[in-house]
Amino acid sequence: MSGAPALEVDLQVTVGRGASVFTVEARFSLPAGVLVLFGPSGAGKTVTLRAIAGLIRPKRGSVRLAGEALDDGMRGVHVPAERRRIGYVPQDQALFPHLDVLGNVVFGLPRAERKKPGPATLALLDELGLSALRGARVDALSGGERQRVALARALAAEPRLLLLDEPLSALDRAARFSIGRSLREALARRSLPAVLVTHDAEEAAAFGDVFVQFERGKPARELPREVVLGEKGPCPHCGKP
Amino acid sequence: MESSTSFPILLSLRVAGLALLFVGPIGLAIALLQARVRYRLRGLVDALVLLPLVLPPSVVGYFLVVVFGRRGLLGRMLEEGLGVRLVFSPAGAALASAVVALPILVKTAQPSIEAVPSRLEDVARTLGLRPWEVVFRVTLPLAWRGVLAALVLGFARAIGEFGATLMLAGNIPGRTNTMPVEIFSAFQEGDDARAGLYVIVLSGISVVVVLVAGLLGPKEGRAPA
Repeated sequence: MSGAPALEVDLQVTVGRGASVFTVEARFSLPAGVLVLFGPSGAGKTVTLRAIAGLIRPKRGSVRLAGEALDDGMRGVHVPAERRRIGYVPQDQALFPHLDVLGNVVFGLPRAERKKPGPATLALLDELGLSALRGARVDALSGGERQRVALARALAAEPRLLLLDEPLSALDRAARFSIGRSLREALARRSLPAVLVTHDAEEAAAFGDVFVQFERGKPARELPREVVLGEKGPCPHCGKP
Repeated sequence: MESSTSFPILLSLRVAGLALLFVGPIGLAIALLQARVRYRLRGLVDALVLLPLVLPPSVVGYFLVVVFGRRGLLGRMLEEGLGVRLVFSPAGAALASAVVALPILVKTAQPSIEAVPSRLEDVARTLGLRPWEVVFRVTLPLAWRGVLAALVLGFARAIGEFGATLMLAGNIPGRTNTMPVEIFSAFQEGDDARAGLYVIVLSGISVVVVLVAGLLGPKEGRAPA
């Protein structure tokens, strides 16, 4: 391992066309752990996440993962999404409706592994509590189960970084708690750095090591946790200050 | 041979099949391009694809003769390079059919491709799939109804092609007399029984096609397989 931070981002991304063009500027760095992109909707959090995934090409700036340049406007570097090994769990999970739970989880694996899932896949299903659901249709799943499948699908491809867009926001309280715990454990077990988008202060506090605040029309800034969270006190889930 | 009753039926099936083999992949590629990529000449390509639908078939045929005829630029290259002559040949009939089938193919397939949420394609790419793998493992499996409907309608349009086929491939009994062409000549000769037979066959094919396309058409709430 080099001493480089897990993720370094210094971006200017322009999205939209015609009258609805807007530009997002973000600059932050994550030594390790979970970085939280925090702020109201429409402030550019998801755009930033998609740029890190390589799905949008930034107008200028750079994205570095463990020191490796994935985007570098100055040198014309833009590694395509399929070669970044960055897992992405979008807000609506985007499960493949033509495949069952197992088909979704193994989607990013080589053909042999898709035909006959090996021990790593079975262990992953077990880890996320999906073993009993492996043959289920994804449109028959609850919100929490969908989130678990999306998480398993991203983890199965052994990403170097995980991007999560509002992973808990659509869930009820019980599901938030159990998925939140599975997620934290999954990241810790793999020492996997993650970027998590949320507009929820409680969720931010529960996960974050580093906080970046997004506001409409302003460049996103890295801020101390107390400032971002408005000095909310300890998190009710994990007891972190 | 040329008086054989079944010849025009088999020829038409062969010509439409060949046309579909040729225009199917091209039409689907154009539909994918138009549905998913925003580029400068998109509007122009859209208009060009629609052109064979709007132009009179004889005009399409005329253009084809100009380009693919023995003195046409591509026609000469094909004949000298590959020894393929399109004028007055079944291959010419297939080309004419392919051109007139293109608009209906693209315009039927495109909305079903657009209806596939692009978020699914995005996730597939982050899972390591190259763009062409995304097409075959996400886009087409989810858009299959519309794509199949497009191919079926394209086949029907190809098998019924008359004007452009007549211009490029002519009406050579036992060689290029497809069913629509044969209906016209039988009718001219007053052979109503012969014309009627092909009218019934083509009408039957069209009815089946319309029914199949209807079954494949958009369902309430888009339910892929």
